[in-house]
Amino acid sequence: MANSLFEEKLYSGEFLVTTEVGPPKGADISEMVHHIDLLKDKVDAINITDHQSSVMRFPSLGGCLLVKERGGEPILQVTCRDRNRLALQADLLLAYSRGINNVLCLTGDSVDVGDHKEAKPVFDSDSVQLLKIIRTMESGTDIGGNELKGTPKFCIGASVHPEADFIEPQLIKFDKKVAAGAQFFQTQGIFDLRSLRRFMQYASQFDVKILAGIIVLASAGMARYMNNNVPGIIVPQATIDELASAEKDKRLQKGIEIAVGLIKTIKEENLCHGVHIMAVGNERIVPDILEAAQLAGVRH
Amino acid sequence: MIVAEQKSLAEIRQMITPYQRVLILGCGTCMTVCNAGGEREVSFLHNALRLAESRSGNGIHTFSEYTVKRQCDYEFLDSLVDKIGDVDAILSLGCGIGVQAIAERLPDLPVLPGVNTSFMGMAEEWGVWDERCAACGDCILAETGGICPITRCTKGILNGPCAGTKNGKCEANKDMDCAWILIYKRLERLGQLDKMRRYYPLRNFRTIPRPRRVASKASIDVGEGNG
Amino acid sequence: MHSPVSDAHNYRANRTEKYLDHSLMPPCQAACPLHMDVRGYVDLVAQGKIMEALQSIRSGNPFPSICAYVCTHPCEDACRRCQVDKPVAIRALKRFAVEFGGDRMVQAEAETTQQEKVAIVGSGPAGMACAYYLRKLGYPATIFEAHSEMGGMLRVGIPQYRLPRQVLDTEVQRLTQMGVEIRLSTKVVSLDLLFDLGYKAIFITIGAHQSLRMGIEGEESPGVIDGATFLREVNLGLKPSLGERVAVVGGGNVAIDAARTAVRLGTKRVNILYRRGRAEMPADPEEVEQALGEGIEILFLVIPTRIKRGNGRLSVTCVRMELGAPDASSRRRPVPIKDSEFNEEFDTLITAIGQAPQTPGGFDVRMGKGSTIQVDPTTLTTNRVGVFAGGDAVTGPATVTEALAAGRLAASRIDDYLQHRYPVAGKAEREKLVGDLLPETIEMIRKISRLEPPILLPEARVKDFEPVELVYDWETATNEARRCLRCGMGAEILFQDKCATCLTCLKVCPYHVPCLDASGTIQIPAEQCQACGICVAECPAKVIVLRKPYDRRSINEELDHILKSAAESKSKPFIVGFCCQYGLFGIGTLANLWRGAKAGVWIVPVLCVAKVEAEQILRAFEMGAEGVFIAGCGEQCSREDTAFWVRQRVEKVRKVLAQVGFETERLQTFFPSTTNEDLAPELDKFAEQIGRLYLASAIMQEVKS
Ligand SMILES: Cc1cc2nc3c(=O)[nH]c(=O)nc-3n(C[C@H](O)[C@H](O)[C@H](O)COP(=O)(O)OP(=O)(O)OC[C@H]3O[C@@H](n4cnc5c(N)ncnc54)[C@H](O)[C@@H]3O)c2cc1C
Ligand code: SF4
Repeated sequence: MANSLFEEKLYSGEFLVTTEVGPPKGADISEMVHHIDLLKDKVDAINITDHQSSVMRFPSLGGCLLVKERGGEPILQVTCRDRNRLALQADLLLAYSRGINNVLCLTGDSVDVGDHKEAKPVFDSDSVQLLKIIRTMESGTDIGGNELKGTPKFCIGASVHPEADFIEPQLIKFDKKVAAGAQFFQTQGIFDLRSLRRFMQYASQFDVKILAGIIVLASAGMARYMNNNVPGIIVPQATIDELASAEKDKRLQKGIEIAVGLIKTIKEENLCHGVHIMAVGNERIVPDILEAAQLAGVRH
Repeated sequence: MIVAEQKSLAEIRQMITPYQRVLILGCGTCMTVCNAGGEREVSFLHNALRLAESRSGNGIHTFSEYTVKRQCDYEFLDSLVDKIGDVDAILSLGCGIGVQAIAERLPDLPVLPGVNTSFMGMAEEWGVWDERCAACGDCILAETGGICPITRCTKGILNGPCAGTKNGKCEANKDMDCAWILIYKRLERLGQLDKMRRYYPLRNFRTIPRPRRVASKASIDVGEGNG
Repeated sequence: MHSPVSDAHNYRANRTEKYLDHSLMPPCQAACPLHMDVRGYVDLVAQGKIMEALQSIRSGNPFPSICAYVCTHPCEDACRRCQVDKPVAIRALKRFAVEFGGDRMVQAEAETTQQEKVAIVGSGPAGMACAYYLRKLGYPATIFEAHSEMGGMLRVGIPQYRLPRQVLDTEVQRLTQMGVEIRLSTKVVSLDLLFDLGYKAIFITIGAHQSLRMGIEGEESPGVIDGATFLREVNLGLKPSLGERVAVVGGGNVAIDAARTAVRLGTKRVNILYRRGRAEMPADPEEVEQALGEGIEILFLVIPTRIKRGNGRLSVTCVRMELGAPDASSRRRPVPIKDSEFNEEFDTLITAIGQAPQTPGGFDVRMGKGSTIQVDPTTLTTNRVGVFAGGDAVTGPATVTEALAAGRLAASRIDDYLQHRYPVAGKAEREKLVGDLLPETIEMIRKISRLEPPILLPEARVKDFEPVELVYDWETATNEARRCLRCGMGAEILFQDKCATCLTCLKVCPYHVPCLDASGTIQIPAEQCQACGICVAECPAKVIVLRKPYDRRSINEELDHILKSAAESKSKPFIVGFCCQYGLFGIGTLANLWRGAKAGVWIVPVLCVAKVEAEQILRAFEMGAEGVFIAGCGEQCSREDTAFWVRQRVEKVRKVLAQVGFETERLQTFFPSTTNEDLAPELDKFAEQIGRLYLASAIMQEVKS
């Protein structure tokens, strides 16, 4: 029996669509609720980010509760940056108890890139270890070896970076994540399908589902900013040029076009098992993208 | 060696406010090597404090200076006895260990830290020091090609690089090498990439409970006779 | 007139060091027969301290004006700059110091404090020096000279165009002033007679005036004359007629002098016949060059074998030579080439193949090889009690400086003898610097071409006996003096136990000199160190000092001194400038600053601003300076790193300034980019700026109170 709706989808052979919603900085959750409502029936699951780029926000666990409340399928993003092993396990227990059963295990961005640079970085564990922690808990004990009253079950995933400029160590880490129990991977933003093809040639040997990360770029400026400031992101010059070639008020449109193009090709050529759309602050346009990519329709 | 940075003049002046006669005490070992508290820094600080006093116009402080070979053992501090007769506080340019050694040895005299003890490391070039060891008490350098991910990776993670690495540099600082890229390259060179493929479980932070102690002497029960 | 440089120092007292100085004896000093403090006076010239330079020179040399003209400068051959480019022009610098320092004005003084009379036989440099120092030691001294004039070879050998006679006359006059008794035209034939006259000790310095013979057929013919005799005649005012064509046989300085003298007497064509090649010529290469410039032809690898006189001319048969195996002097021995004989016609032939001493039999002293007088080299005593000998008479033909050294040694040995002191061999001298520069070091040393003093053009030279070489101007002299590598003054670790082995010195040295030895101890090899002082100013343990710690001390002393004067002068605001004493002196900036062109600017002259320490800058501010600047010589500096280090320290101090509420502009550096750039406008701007800042803060003060 599947641990979650999303897990069921994962093994259904369908082309998967996930997206992400970033929680607000502040207690006003109306916009997040709006975005959840807008998307919950159009995608297979919604990721709620965990202080993305180390910027303090409303918690991902809270966001996932909202998704649940509104009738959607959440994926809880958990990073190791802010919680030690006690807090991680506790949060997972809470999540499970509220029906949040999908977890994306991440190491987390460095606090140096965020808005609380003086904070103590925790990193008591890393993403691989987090996957292991969850698998340990599922076996009935906490990682201290103490028996748990009520055993949680999760569908767990991790991230991978097929466009990293130095791929070999990333692949080693990917192997370790697979070995630690990751069932699905949502990749970092893909801009060049050649790297996805190369990666899939390698990843297809494992029994894991790969969802290609699609970042919707709103302008060339944003692309350049991300290149300089967002960990790991490398938007190729060709994409930046393409964005820059568009007229000023058509830039976002161009970004959407690029994203749609990528999604369509991935789906048509069956390059991987699905896509994970990251609209970074432009959640409202995700339905249009799905429409254009002919992925629209109720997913539940 | 231990690396430290001298505190700002403003902070030092703030600290010494209640004390009229201050002995600036240098340390002839690590603090000399890292340019934070050797004889030269002692006299430089002495000059700077005197300048600050003369600038403020209402200076009440008087300073003296002295440098011991090492502040972190009582025996070296014994030579202070005839230097502190008319001193209200010691401004130590030793590391945190030195400051505490003074506090323990001279129970009646306030001691103030003049430097921020930063890390254990080595010189990258003249005037630039880099951290190398976190004194974690559970050394894994054998597994990581002699490169410490705990100090040299911002996140101190053990199972390979995060996805933030770009151009071989760390996401936290574009001038800093990504430790895991260095480790990968080194292990590749040594033909030991299998070490990186191995899973590293959660770190044991309890190897030596705080406050830590290391004993190189064996504990011998004196009463036991022939051993 | 008051003499700027005093000669009235107590010679005895002067033998002890004035201040702590661990410096090693540089090769130039070791090579100088008088062991003069070459490095010291060259450095003083570089700083423009000409009088101090002269003082230093005079304390090591009784007749510097003479050496300034004719010394064969073994110091330059030993100069380690040879390994980098060309040696420092030490002799020419000495001449500059002597002339610009006012040596002519120096009054020689001496007091008689001893009874024992000493006789000196011969008035050459050895005799003159001995008389000089005997007088300094308080002994009555008498010089006996066979000729009608004083000076030995200085008078009758060396031509006037190389040593003007006024120079020699001045020195002779000074000896008279000092109370030396001079008996001219008095040839001594018996020493017993002198003892009978009451002299308690005798110094024989009769030189080597007997020319050696070639030993060939026809050598006695009229028209053949020996070089020493020829030069003596000319020097004593005779004008021998030489005819149209003259040959000089020999390859030493005497041969060159004879040839050039012949040219000056109007001879149309002068040939030098020398049996080896140019490389083997013992004569000074510069003089050979000058001789060639004056139209003298040198026939190398040629030797006369027979002379025939006929028709009032000489027919000289010569044979060509080739160089065979090296001989005892390690020069390759010339051997005749078969059937290479040829004849040349000359009017006069001058032989200059060497001289030997000619000691009257009545002296009764033991003789050695080449008719030289045998002495114990440490005491200069002959086989006769109370009889000492030195100079060419002992060594065979040598040099003026060696003769002076022998004279000085003789004076102190005679003193020992008369005071019944045990003559200790080799008085404690400072340790010598040994070892060559490493290629790595050489690579890092800035190459600076040697600046020669100007010389007269050949056409002007050959007309008369005027001095050929002119003297430097100030700028050239100071720049040439700066080329000195300051060998042996380098850095040393004074307290090894306080050294934290932090490796700062290894990292900051522009020449990569400091190194770790196998035991992990820092070594600063003295023979590589360039004494720039950068490690001294950076060492965090402050354990490195320059062997001559005077540099740091003098900055501190000067600073204290001017800070005191500035405080007393009460003129506000006052600015302290640490200025390069070398370069800024050379371009006159320093002189302008000193002349008080800018009121309120107080100068601390430093021997390279790389030595200014951050603490010293802070101190200036602490003592009330409203502004501080550091002016280096920029492009001219001996090393490229100076500005970098100065700026490092400046930044360090600026950090403190900012924290105590001083504008960081109050501390400025100036490094002219070209050698002639005038810093004055920049400095004016700086002074104005400080003036404004001062005014503003004074008003603030007013408002507050
Ligand atoms: C032409 C020439 C050029 C030279 N150029 C240089 C040069 O450029 N640089 C340099 O360093 N050296 C030079 N020399 C060598 C230098 O001059 C001699 O080495 C130096 O002068 C030797 O000094 P002295 O005192 O030993 O003897 P001398 O200078 O030879 O003096 C000896 C004196 O003793 C006198 N005398 C001899 N016998 C008696 C006696 N029985 N009674 C009384 N008086 C007597 C002689 O008349 C003479 O005046 C040159 C030599 C010559 C000949
Ligand atoms: S980029 Fe490299 S060094 Fe920096 S946090 Fe990531 S893994 Fe560690």
